[in-house]
Amino acid sequence: MFVRKYLIPRLLQYFLVIFLGITIVFFIPRLAPTNPVERTIAEIRSRGTYLDPAHIQAMVDALTEMYGLSGSWLQQYKDFWVRLFHGDFGVSFFQFPTPVIRLIKNALPWTVGLLLTTTILSWVFGNVVGGMAGYAHNKRWSKVLDALMMFVRPIPYYVFALSLLILFGYVFRKFPIGGGATIGRQPSWTLSYILDVLRHAFLPALSMVVLGAASWFQTTKLIVQNVKSEDFVQYAQLGGIKEGKIMFRYVIRNAMLPQITNLALSLGQILSGALITEIVFSYPGLGHLLFSAISTGDYNLIMGIISLSIVAITTLVLIVDLIYPLFDPRIRYK
Amino acid sequence: MSRTRNVLLLLCLTILVMSSAVFAADPSGFPRDQTLIVSMLTGRVGTPSNFNEWVGWRNRDRGMQNLANEPLWSVDFATGQIINGLASGDPVYNEDFTQLTIPLREGVAWSDGMPFTADDVVFTIETIIAEPGLANHPTFATAVKDVYKTGDYEVVIELLESDSRFHTHFLDRWGCTWIMPKHIFENVEDVVSFEFNPFVGCGPYKLHSFDPAGYWTAWEKRDDWDKTPTGMLFGEPVPKYVLIQTYSDGSAKIIAQLTHQLDVADHDAEGFAAAMAQGGTIRAYQLTYPWVVNNDPCLTGITFNTMVAPFDNKEVRWALVLAIDIVEYLAQAVDGQATLSPVHVPHLGAYPEYYIEPMQEWLKNFALDLGDGEKFYPYDPDAALKVAEYARQRGHQVSDDPEELKATFGLGWYKYAPDVAAKLLEKNGFTRDANGKWLLPDGTPWRIRITDINDTGHHQFKNGNAAVQQWKKFGIDAEYIATDAYSTLQQVGDFEVGAVWPALEPWGAGADLYRSLNAFYSEYMAPIGDNNRGHASRWSSAEMDDIIKRMRATDPTDIEATVAVSTEALQLLIEEMPSVPTYGYSGFMTWDEYYWTNWPGAENPYMGPYGHWGTLKYMLPSLQPTGNK
Repeated sequence: MFVRKYLIPRLLQYFLVIFLGITIVFFIPRLAPTNPVERTIAEIRSRGTYLDPAHIQAMVDALTEMYGLSGSWLQQYKDFWVRLFHGDFGVSFFQFPTPVIRLIKNALPWTVGLLLTTTILSWVFGNVVGGMAGYAHNKRWSKVLDALMMFVRPIPYYVFALSLLILFGYVFRKFPIGGGATIGRQPSWTLSYILDVLRHAFLPALSMVVLGAASWFQTTKLIVQNVKSEDFVQYAQLGGIKEGKIMFRYVIRNAMLPQITNLALSLGQILSGALITEIVFSYPGLGHLLFSAISTGDYNLIMGIISLSIVAITTLVLIVDLIYPLFDPRIRYK
Repeated sequence: MSRTRNVLLLLCLTILVMSSAVFAADPSGFPRDQTLIVSMLTGRVGTPSNFNEWVGWRNRDRGMQNLANEPLWSVDFATGQIINGLASGDPVYNEDFTQLTIPLREGVAWSDGMPFTADDVVFTIETIIAEPGLANHPTFATAVKDVYKTGDYEVVIELLESDSRFHTHFLDRWGCTWIMPKHIFENVEDVVSFEFNPFVGCGPYKLHSFDPAGYWTAWEKRDDWDKTPTGMLFGEPVPKYVLIQTYSDGSAKIIAQLTHQLDVADHDAEGFAAAMAQGGTIRAYQLTYPWVVNNDPCLTGITFNTMVAPFDNKEVRWALVLAIDIVEYLAQAVDGQATLSPVHVPHLGAYPEYYIEPMQEWLKNFALDLGDGEKFYPYDPDAALKVAEYARQRGHQVSDDPEELKATFGLGWYKYAPDVAAKLLEKNGFTRDANGKWLLPDGTPWRIRITDINDTGHHQFKNGNAAVQQWKKFGIDAEYIATDAYSTLQQVGDFEVGAVWPALEPWGAGADLYRSLNAFYSEYMAPIGDNNRGHASRWSSAEMDDIIKRMRATDPTDIEATVAVSTEALQLLIEEMPSVPTYGYSGFMTWDEYYWTNWPGAENPYMGPYGHWGTLKYMLPSLQPTGNK
């Protein structure tokens, strides 16, 4: 029953969303007024290289051929799916002839490492502390924490990140002002290198965790305050159930349900990168790669990153849908 | 509850204490007093392990062109000289420019110890011709008939058609066609996908290491630096290591320089002001106002799309020039920190001597016909003095010495004459409404859209917005449209006015302006909708074509003949004004003198000042360590 009535239609929907999403991402950049071949030539010229105007058309023809843009859109679309089924997103136009998958592989560990950690940390911190503060919303510590979050939350991310950079990179000079690791160090699985990477990730992570947690804190706190006023909580209190058990098992557990869906969406968005973080802290990652791809009309690279992002988001939403009964026993797929 | 709270507090404290102990700074391995750190202009390297600069874009300012590579010739815009690198002298053309002979420098070695010879040059050209995937393939395949050596240090290139400037493909202005080490590339199966890692060049530095994420590249001085053209011409480079580093955010770059983690930095105008405001060991190119690098071989300004009405009318174009108060314009664009140029070459190096000063009399006598026999002489030889006066009013100390003023602010520009501009427009059927706003000849409101770059720090943005202010003041509904797609839009002619350079950048050395002027040849101009190969103004004329043809038949080393024909072209551009030259590119760069000094500032411009140009390697033998550790 579950398979026929729910799982199969849900899986069909899952594949349809991916197919449509990728199709849209294929065509949208081609509708933009940025031509990757012309953009490459303009970039080369703007960097000071002299290209004899008499030879530019020949160069355009050669690049169009090499980039695989010589056929009709339909032909390119067909070729794209054939390549994709072989796990190949093609070559980057702007970093020709480097395969897109290699560029993504280089940037992915940094993005996943930073964003996975910060998303989970801020989610856990924001939800646990927010839940506790919501439950004890009349206590002084809760009010102080709420005021603090109220102050932190509206700070624009760029301003907050830059403030951290100035404070810890310039005033106290305790943390590096950029990069993923110390200059001159090559990646290795040594404790010293790992600590070096953590040291470089500290400020970017702090900036994301603090603002992210403040956001989770506020939403969870409000949800918890709502749930706390519901009848079943009051029955539990009247029934003499321990306060800690009511808070975590009754109130926070119920309040967490929408936050779990939000967490899945946040995790899925990791693959879009964190552009502002990467810019402020000169931190490696997918955000910068995607930004450059869009501004240079690097269709294949845009396709590669966005396709992964689409797959990640839809997959996580699917997983959450499927395991939701574990969090909320009231839900049954029939 | 209180127990939970205490546990949380304790946890936070523990994390903080541990983080400070565990995260103690790790030394980089580059002794700071032996290391020069230079910011990279073109940003993060997309493919850090790929050094094959014959294929596509490879961020060559990460150290290839400025430290580890050596071209046949280099431009030094600070001195206006062309430096012989791997070539030992000028190219020698035959009479009809279908053959050139290049003499090569003897005793040069690649960074892996192999000798550099004519075989490398011949191999490079043959490989580029044979491989369609290499960037310069179309140029060489369509131009070169044959290439061969006549000895170990002499190469002859035969051309399919006459080309008096073919050698400029090997002239490094900010990149050029580099010579391949034959002993490496001849063993490569696929030249296009070959990464050329580790990089091997004839420059004085060799690759040390690089960031797999693309933020830095480290170079180390070669032990055999004396076997490089840099060593032979300028001596031993002083820094043992050079780090080329990029910061994605301008603020981080300023912090890096203030904390002595960055010696050479390029900023935008605002970042420059912020860095300079901190004082200390930071200095600019000029020691006094206007501080900026004002000898960059680029000219900024405004470009009309001359295939779109009403900008297809030169009197309309001139009216818009006369509606500009250049002192205000310069103040709005760069707070007066730039050098004016009334013609389509920047006021730097040898250009004032060859062109701008000799053209003064012609400029003073140049008149616009206002109709009914009335004439107007638009040139204002004192425009630069007015900019200097503006700077004084702003409280800056400006010299009274006319020669210094010329070098700082240029010579003249065009008069601010809104009444004359109005006459020119009225002569062409334009009218004004009751509010004084200009109407097109068909009676509809005149709106000018300047479409250009989406980067507030860029001079195109600054020029475009200054023009908007001026034309609004004149009564035209002008607006600036910032878009990342501006280059494509300009290429297909989907714009009215842009702020792209009014003429292509000249070489910056010598008298030859072919690089700038050839772009106005009519064959390169495409109709609206098609991709344009010539100058963005899409302007050309039979007269200009004739001048360009004569230029092609002129030996660029014949200075007198080159100046004469180029001057004709510059005069024609002023008469037609398809684009408006305003001021030379102002470079907002700073040096930190904490570790290194004797930079090539305006008081001692022994070499181009930038860290991203090829001339950086020639500057390094002159740097002096301060002794700070």
